[in-house]
Amino acid sequence: METKTEVLQELQKIPWFKEIKPELLQKIVAIAHLRPIKLGEILFREGDKEDFLYIVIEGRIALDIFIPHRGKLRIYTVEPWDLFGWSSVTPAIHQRTAGATAVLDGLVVAIDSSKLRQACEEDHELGYLVMRRLMNIVAGRLLVTRLQLIDMFASPEETNAN
Amino acid sequence: MIDSPEKILVPQSELLLSPHWAEVMDITPEAEGISTYWLRFTDPVEQETFRFEPGQFNMVYLPGFGESAISISSDPNDHEKLGHTIRFVGNVTRAVSRLKVGDIVGLRGPFGTYWPMREMEGKDVFISCGGIGLPPLRPAIYHIIRNREKYGKVTLLYGSRTSSDLMFPKEYESWRNANIDVEVTVDRGDANWNGRVGVVPMWFYQFRIDPRKTAVLTCGPEIMIRFVIYEAMARRVPVESIYVSLERNMKCGQGSCGHCQMGPYFICKDGPVFRFDELQSFFNVEEF
Amino acid sequence: MPTERIPEIGSTVTIQKPAFNSILSRLKEDGYLPIGPRLKDEALVYAPIDKIEDLPQGVSTVQKPGYYRLTRGKHMRYFDIIPGAHSWKQFLFPSRAELFKLQKNGREWERLPEKEEPVNYAFIGVRACELAAIQIQDNIFMRSDFTDPIYQAHRKRVFIVSVNCTHPSETCFCTSMGTGPRVKDSYDLDLTELDDVFVLTIGSELGKRLMTGIPFEDASGYIRTNVEHKLEHAEQQMRRKLDTTDLPELILNHLDHPYWNEIGKRCLSCANCTQVCPTCFCWDTVDEISLDGQTTGRARVWDSCFNPGYSYQAGGNTRPTIYSRYRQWMSHKLGTWKQQYGTLGCVGCGRCITWCPAEIDITEEVAALRNEVER
Repeated sequence: METKTEVLQELQKIPWFKEIKPELLQKIVAIAHLRPIKLGEILFREGDKEDFLYIVIEGRIALDIFIPHRGKLRIYTVEPWDLFGWSSVTPAIHQRTAGATAVLDGLVVAIDSSKLRQACEEDHELGYLVMRRLMNIVAGRLLVTRLQLIDMFASPEETNAN
Repeated sequence: MIDSPEKILVPQSELLLSPHWAEVMDITPEAEGISTYWLRFTDPVEQETFRFEPGQFNMVYLPGFGESAISISSDPNDHEKLGHTIRFVGNVTRAVSRLKVGDIVGLRGPFGTYWPMREMEGKDVFISCGGIGLPPLRPAIYHIIRNREKYGKVTLLYGSRTSSDLMFPKEYESWRNANIDVEVTVDRGDANWNGRVGVVPMWFYQFRIDPRKTAVLTCGPEIMIRFVIYEAMARRVPVESIYVSLERNMKCGQGSCGHCQMGPYFICKDGPVFRFDELQSFFNVEEF
Repeated sequence: MPTERIPEIGSTVTIQKPAFNSILSRLKEDGYLPIGPRLKDEALVYAPIDKIEDLPQGVSTVQKPGYYRLTRGKHMRYFDIIPGAHSWKQFLFPSRAELFKLQKNGREWERLPEKEEPVNYAFIGVRACELAAIQIQDNIFMRSDFTDPIYQAHRKRVFIVSVNCTHPSETCFCTSMGTGPRVKDSYDLDLTELDDVFVLTIGSELGKRLMTGIPFEDASGYIRTNVEHKLEHAEQQMRRKLDTTDLPELILNHLDHPYWNEIGKRCLSCANCTQVCPTCFCWDTVDEISLDGQTTGRARVWDSCFNPGYSYQAGGNTRPTIYSRYRQWMSHKLGTWKQQYGTLGCVGCGRCITWCPAEIDITEEVAALRNEVER
C-alpha cells in the first residue's frame, strides 16, 4: 500500500483531484501506479495495443506521428497536470494513434484504462467526473489543433489569402 | 481648352514624409526571410538625440520603393544604433532584403504609442507573443532587465511555427539570468526539438497569474492575440491590464493618410499599442 | 456714385454683374489665380477663369442617383449650376502632389532643389456645403499635433468667394447635415446671385480691400428680403433628407448587421464616391525611379478605402470584401469621424449619390439600415 499512498499524494498535487470525493479518488488510485520516466524513453508507439491513461506529474512527453520521408513530427507536448493516452478511455480505435516520447526526465501516473472503463461503468458518478474532465482536455486539444491547423504564422503568399 | 493647374507646388522648407538618412551598420539574420538591420543616422547629432519608447516604430524608406512601418527591436538605451527586425514580405521589405552593410536608407520616427513601462512598475508582467511579435517587445524586455527591481514576476511566453522560426534564441539564456521566466513553444517540432509543442494561448494554464497585479502584453498574428486575450480574461485579468500591439497598412505614421484606421483609431498614432478596453467593442467585428 | 467709399466688413452691398470682372482683375493683380465653375465635357468643373464670361451662364443641372445632365436656357444666371464631380479639395489637397526628387550620389541620395513658387488660389463660387467641407479638411490637415505642409501652404493663401445656393439639386441634402444652403462664415466675400445684380457680403479685411474702387450700392431692404426668400425657398425645395438622429451609434452599434451585405452586393467598389467626396482625405504614396536607378521621385496621390490595396499589409488584406469596404466608408463618414474630428464627415453635397454608377444613395442606405435595426 506504500505505493498507493504515493500515487494519492502525487495526484492530490493536481487541483482537479482535490475536488473529487475521497471514496471516488480511491477507486482511481486503486487502478493506478507511478512510473518514473527518462529522457528519450518511448512510452508507446503508434499502433501499440498498450492500454493506459497517463497523467504527467513532472517532465514533458512529446506526442509524435511518423511521416514517411519527413520523419517523426512532434505535434503536441504534454506538460505537468495534463494527461495523454485519453482515447484509451473511450476507444474507437483499439490501438495508439500517436507515439509518446519523454523529452525530459519525469514522473507519470499510469491508470489502467480497461479497469477505469469498468469502474466508470459501475459507478456513473465517477464516470461523469472522469468524462467531464476528459471532455475539457479534448476540447483544449481541439482548440490547439485548430490553431495549428490554420497556421497562424503563415504569411499571405503561403496561404494565398488574396 | 480648359485644364486645371496640374503642377502643385510645395514650399521647399516644409516637406512631407521627409526622410532622415541612416546607414546600415550591420545585418543579423534571424530566421528564414527575417533579418535585423542595425541602422545609424548619418547625422551624428540626430543619432545622439534620437530617443524612442519600447513598442514604437519607424518608417523605413528605400528610395524608389517606398516606406514600410517597422517597429524598433533594439535597446532604447543603446544610442549608438537602432535595430529593425524585418520580415521580407512586401515590395519594400523585399528590397530591404537586398541591402548591404554601408547602404543608406531613410528613416522617419519614432511613431506611435508604447508599452506601459511606467504604469507596470510594481506589477507582474506577462508577455505573450508569437512569431514576429517578439521584436516590438524586445525593447520592453531590455527595459525590464535594466530596471528589474521595479517589476514583480516577469514571464515571456513566446511561440513560433517551428524552432528555426524563433526570434533571438541566443538571448533567452541572458533573459533567464535576469530572472525572467522564458517559455517557448512551437506549432510543430521535429525529433530534435525537446521544448513545448502547442500554441501560445493554451499554455496559460501552467502559470499562476494574479489578475489583480499582472499586466498582459501581447503582439503577434491577430488570431493569436484574440486567443491570448480570451485566456487572460478567463483568468480574470481586467481588460484594463491587457495591452495589445496591432499592425495595419501605414503610409504616413502621423494619422493623416487614413490607411491604418480601425474604428475611430489611427493605429499609427493612437496605437500600435492599445489598452484592450479601447479596442474591445470592435475587436471581433469581421474585416473591420 | 462715390467710388472712394469702401464697404465695411459685415456689410452687404450690390454690384452690377459686369463689375465682377473688376473683382477678378483685382484678384489677379494681387497675385491670385481665380478658379471658378466652367463647363467641360458637358459637366461643371473648377478651373482657372479670367472673366465672368468664362462662367457657364444660364445652365442648370439635373442630378439623380447615377445621373448628371446639363440643361440650358431656363434662366440667365451664372451660379445656379450645381457642381459636378469636382470639388475644391483638388486644389488644397491635390490628387497628386510631388513631395521630393532624389538623385543618387555615391551611396547617398541628394534632394534636388525645387524651383517653383506656390500658387495663391482665389476660389470663386464656394457653396455652403463646400465651405463646410473645407472646414472639415482643415480639422484633418491642420490638427494641433500634425500639420500637413502641402495643405496648409495652399489653405493659408486662398481667397474665398462663397456663393449662397438658391437652386439646390435633387441629390442635395445639406439641410440635414446643417451645412447649407446658406453660407454662414469663413469667407472673404459672400455672393448671392439675383437676376440683375450680385449681392455681396464682406467677410474679411482681404475682402474689404479687394472692394476698393469697385462700384457698389448698399443692399436695400427689398434686396435683402429677396435674398432671404430665395434661401428659404431653397431650404424648402430640398426634399432629400438624412436623419442624423443617433447617427454614430446607429452605425457603430450595428457593424455586424446583415444589411451591410445587402449594400455590398450592389456596390462595385469603384471608389467614385471617395474621389468626388469633398471631405475624403485618404492618400497613398508612389515612388518613381528612373531606369538607371539614379533618380527617384516621391509623390502623394489620393487613395480610397474602396481600393483593394488600401488595407493590404504583411498579414494580408484587412478588408478583402466589398461589403466591409462600404461599411468602412460609411461608418467612418457618419460614425467614427465624429470621434476623430468632432463632426460627421458628410456635408450633404450629394456627389457620392450622383456619381455612383450603381445608384447607391447614402441617405437611402442610412434610412434602410435604420429601418432594419428598428424592425
